[in-house]
Amino acid sequence: MGREIGVDRTLPSKIRRLVAGGGKRSLHSHLRWAGFFFVLPALIHLIIFKFYPMLQAFRLSFYRYDLMSPPVFTGLENYNLLWQNPLFHQSFWVSVKYMFGVSIPEWFFALALALLLNRRMPGRSVIRLAYFFPIAMSQIVVAMVWKFMYHPYGLVNTILETFGIGRINWLSMEESALPALIAIGIWRGIPLFGVIYLAGLQAIPKEYHEAAIIDGAGVFQRFFYVTIPLLLPTITFVMVLSLLSAVKVFLNPLVMTEGGPNGTTKVLPYFIYETGFAFFRMGEAAAASMVLFVFLFGLTLIQLRLLRRGGVE
Amino acid sequence: MRRKTMLRLGGALITLFALFGVWVMLLPYFWMVSSSIKTGIEVFDLPIKWIPDDIQWVNYPNALAKGAFGVYFYNSFVVAFAVMGGNLVFCTLAGYGLAKFRFPHRELCFRLILSTLMLPLEIVLVPTFLVVRDLGLVNTYGGLIAPLAVDAFGVFLMRQSIRDIPDSLIEAARMDGCSEFGIFWRIILPNCKPALGALALLAFRDNWDQFLWPFIVATTDNLKTFPLGLAQMEGIDSAAYHEIMALAVMGMIPAAFIFLFFQRAFVRGITLTGLKE
Repeated sequence: MGREIGVDRTLPSKIRRLVAGGGKRSLHSHLRWAGFFFVLPALIHLIIFKFYPMLQAFRLSFYRYDLMSPPVFTGLENYNLLWQNPLFHQSFWVSVKYMFGVSIPEWFFALALALLLNRRMPGRSVIRLAYFFPIAMSQIVVAMVWKFMYHPYGLVNTILETFGIGRINWLSMEESALPALIAIGIWRGIPLFGVIYLAGLQAIPKEYHEAAIIDGAGVFQRFFYVTIPLLLPTITFVMVLSLLSAVKVFLNPLVMTEGGPNGTTKVLPYFIYETGFAFFRMGEAAAASMVLFVFLFGLTLIQLRLLRRGGVE
Repeated sequence: MRRKTMLRLGGALITLFALFGVWVMLLPYFWMVSSSIKTGIEVFDLPIKWIPDDIQWVNYPNALAKGAFGVYFYNSFVVAFAVMGGNLVFCTLAGYGLAKFRFPHRELCFRLILSTLMLPLEIVLVPTFLVVRDLGLVNTYGGLIAPLAVDAFGVFLMRQSIRDIPDSLIEAARMDGCSEFGIFWRIILPNCKPALGALALLAFRDNWDQFLWPFIVATTDNLKTFPLGLAQMEGIDSAAYHEIMALAVMGMIPAAFIFLFFQRAFVRGITLTGLKE
């Protein structure tokens, strides 16, 4: 900027360079940094609050640490403790049951909902609004309402009674507590994944269906040969997202059943919380986190691979 | 003519079926509202009276008096709006950078950001707490807000929707001498409003709702959020269903309001994103 006076003389050569493409490079490199700077704040945040903690969790899983005294290196002891702890095994399987118990029905019900809402019908926009409204509800509200719903004299039992089924204390029996929580998870997940599926359905060009109709394809043929293949990316996304969000459940077991009865609803996040922040065994909690992470990671990889293969065929 | 009637009848049947579904999906909320205006004894009366003869508005002030709910609501608003703001700013900037610039390792950056979806707070709970403790933020608003201020899903959402903005618009602005930030402010932001609406709604809902993190990091009453306050009150007075439901209704209102305000943008944002790729 200080060479403003000299600009007149250098201007022609500058223009020449610009035309030749030399200036483009400097413009380009300037833009390169601009792009990176736009991403940088988010990246720094994630490094501080995701990647660094992840590395710390890995490191901590080899130490004994109670927040008070300095950490002591114990090698694989934490993993060994977990492996020998029947409560950890129980929590792991509770989480697995919950994850699949919630996700798999969600995939189908949400798709059914999306197909329904994608149809032409009177009052569609209001009906869509009514279905999507529960997406906005908070978890704590849901937990409180359902705890009340599952009360021995609550609405669930009242409705079941009209069908001749006796009153059940859903949340305090070992056989029914986890299924009761799974039912809430499904009920809660359907609208959100329904919106995502609906978006996917609307992205399918109408011409594809029209062409299929001209070729004489029926409703089911169109569904399996047009809708499903074109919806595959959305299906992948819903599958991964539903599993990831199901494994995070913590609030419902905490406030509705306190992990009981007899640990039958103590999901892994609950186990991790309890080990770390109630028993102050941070190292063991970190080790449990690593197990959960490896499990999630493996599951996501398998899913992506399977679906990618499915997509190619 | 006959075919047309059949079609119309079919449409009406589908509407009826859909309405039945709505009833099933919303039933718990109807019951919640209904119970919140009954007495503690009436809530279990059979047959169910959806609207009681004597509406008990008094449940609402009574329930609020059972804890420092003014403080809890205030804290929830602070956390929800701060995190929503953080997400809107950082995720949109990052989404723009990833969608419209070429720079070395751009794809790597995107993958790294997306991979944090695999690292929910539940998994990094212990070390995140240690980080916040080392930063001296335990039991502060900063500690409540900071770890939540960027969410990879938001970056993904914004990147997808900004990619659909034509490059020619950006090039034209650049030719006119608009600064990079000016382009972001005047071209990008106005053109991704639906996605911003979707992001705002989701961020508000998720963080109005925050339970696990405040549960760990807010140890004193003056920093507790509404979900913590409600869970605590329920733990003490678990039989007062009418009052718990009154609090639940009040806890629902902000999110419901935001939803009605943003729902068009929300649905359109998700639709535009298409979630392809």
